[in-house]
Amino acid sequence: MPRSKRRFGWLDALVLAVIFGLTGYLIYRVQIHFHYRWDWRLIPGYFMRYDAERGHWALNLLGQGVLMTLRLAVWSGLLAGLIGGLVGLCRISSSVFLRLLGRSYVELIRNMPPLVFIFIFYFFISGQLLSALAIENRIANAAPETLRVLAILFGPPELWLNFLSGALCLALFEGAYVAEIVRAGIQAVPIAQWEGAAALGLHPQQTLNHVILPQALRTVVPPLAGQFISLIKDSSLVSLISIQEMTFSGNELAVSSGRVFEVWLTVAALYFLLCSGLSRLFRRLERRLDRHGRQPH
Amino acid sequence: MRLSADLKRRQAGARWRAAFDTLAFSLLLLGLGWLLVAGADALHYNWQWYRVPQYLYRLEEGGFRAGPLLQGLGVTLELSALSLLLALIFGLTAALLQRSSSWAGHAVARVYVEIVRNTPMLVQLYLVYFILAPILGMDRFAAAVLALALFEGAYAAEIFRAGIEAVPQGQWEAAEALGLSRLAVYRHVILPQAVRVVLPPLTGLGVSLIKHSALVSVIAVADLTTEGRNLIAETFMTFELWFTVAALYLALTTSLSLLVGWLERRLAVGGAGRH
Repeated sequence: MPRSKRRFGWLDALVLAVIFGLTGYLIYRVQIHFHYRWDWRLIPGYFMRYDAERGHWALNLLGQGVLMTLRLAVWSGLLAGLIGGLVGLCRISSSVFLRLLGRSYVELIRNMPPLVFIFIFYFFISGQLLSALAIENRIANAAPETLRVLAILFGPPELWLNFLSGALCLALFEGAYVAEIVRAGIQAVPIAQWEGAAALGLHPQQTLNHVILPQALRTVVPPLAGQFISLIKDSSLVSLISIQEMTFSGNELAVSSGRVFEVWLTVAALYFLLCSGLSRLFRRLERRLDRHGRQPH
Repeated sequence: MRLSADLKRRQAGARWRAAFDTLAFSLLLLGLGWLLVAGADALHYNWQWYRVPQYLYRLEEGGFRAGPLLQGLGVTLELSALSLLLALIFGLTAALLQRSSSWAGHAVARVYVEIVRNTPMLVQLYLVYFILAPILGMDRFAAAVLALALFEGAYAAEIFRAGIEAVPQGQWEAAEALGLSRLAVYRHVILPQAVRVVLPPLTGLGVSLIKHSALVSVIAVADLTTEGRNLIAETFMTFELWFTVAALYLALTTSLSLLVGWLERRLAVGGAGRH
């Protein structure tokens, strides 16, 4: 297809007319019909505020929400990688038992709406499982220094139970998708590699560890990066079971301050910056990895 | 001879092992079920499965009447169908704009796809429901349809783009050599061929749309999830109703997934034969 660039055609005129028309209509409705008074001045204060009593800056709701989202992403990402790796191996195992187990887990989760999974998890699992862990007792007995280190990793101690159930829920959910990526990555390695390794007298376990997995790793990394970004997006769902991350803070602020438009636009912009920044970073890393991979060893 | 006997013995062994594994798996499922029942017992949970069917349907003298859950399922289907239609329009428009020579069209399509793919569906729903809906005076159902359609439209755009790009370059050249206009090339040559490539992933999109439609319960559209949540608030049959809701979704999405698999196989065979 010959593509003439930087020329102003009829399509450009049409698209611009539609865009300007829509924007103009929206602005007209907001200002004239809706009488909305924009006020962005409060927004920075929702990230950080000056604590007059203690005399230093402290994170406000939205700032805490951002941190919680990041913590959730990191910890549930790691956990989902672990679960997904194990289940992915189950899916290609020679044992029918393990295959059935992996298959049921993956199909069950992938065919259920995330919301329904999260509610079921919240009602059935989180209450019983987490009370068995007795975290609250352990927090009470822990030394202050360890608590401080743990607070950096997992957030404020009074929210640990909350955080743990959110992270576990997300990890169980995303694990199913990671499992499929891992399975596809392993199955993408040509069958001749298995046969070749077997001909060399390698045990199936050795074949997997030394021949198959190193090759599968390269195909698996790009989709895993994409799945990590999906995880950040899906983490907004756990706000519905009162995990206090970014969307939850947004909801609280929109209700309490009444600045609905500004707060939601800010939250959306934060997610956008986080996700598009990460996807750009991953793409750059991938390209570098590709270049190194192609060089002769 | 010895080799074939060895093979036979090994096959028999594999069959025994498979049977054993299936048995073990069934035992595991039984164990999990027992654990669930025991856990519920420990909470003094009162199972009331007999009360669930009336929320699905009722048989009165007038005949079959749908209960709240089936009505919710109907709303879910209606919502999904409407937003799928709209998503296809958005997706095809965005894909064509992205491939067009117009820089403005290209930019608009890119911005749309980037924004949708880099923000959570839930936040988009809030944006539409809390900002766009009051401005434009939409009701919640319309807001839900629009939010779902905008979200899935961006993914549909990628599917359409891939489908159009899968049509061999020679088709474009031949159509141009015949003197067809650009619109005619798309209508009569490219899109009919792209449809075959695009149909299976689009059905997959339908599955994902049904799953994401559960989110609209957040803005209280009376879909299956909302009906389930309302009934639970009324009756406290948390276990029974959530399992029923999940089973209804599973039935819907797995049957669609099976359709995808069937379509993929069929279209693949048909495609290979026709070339």
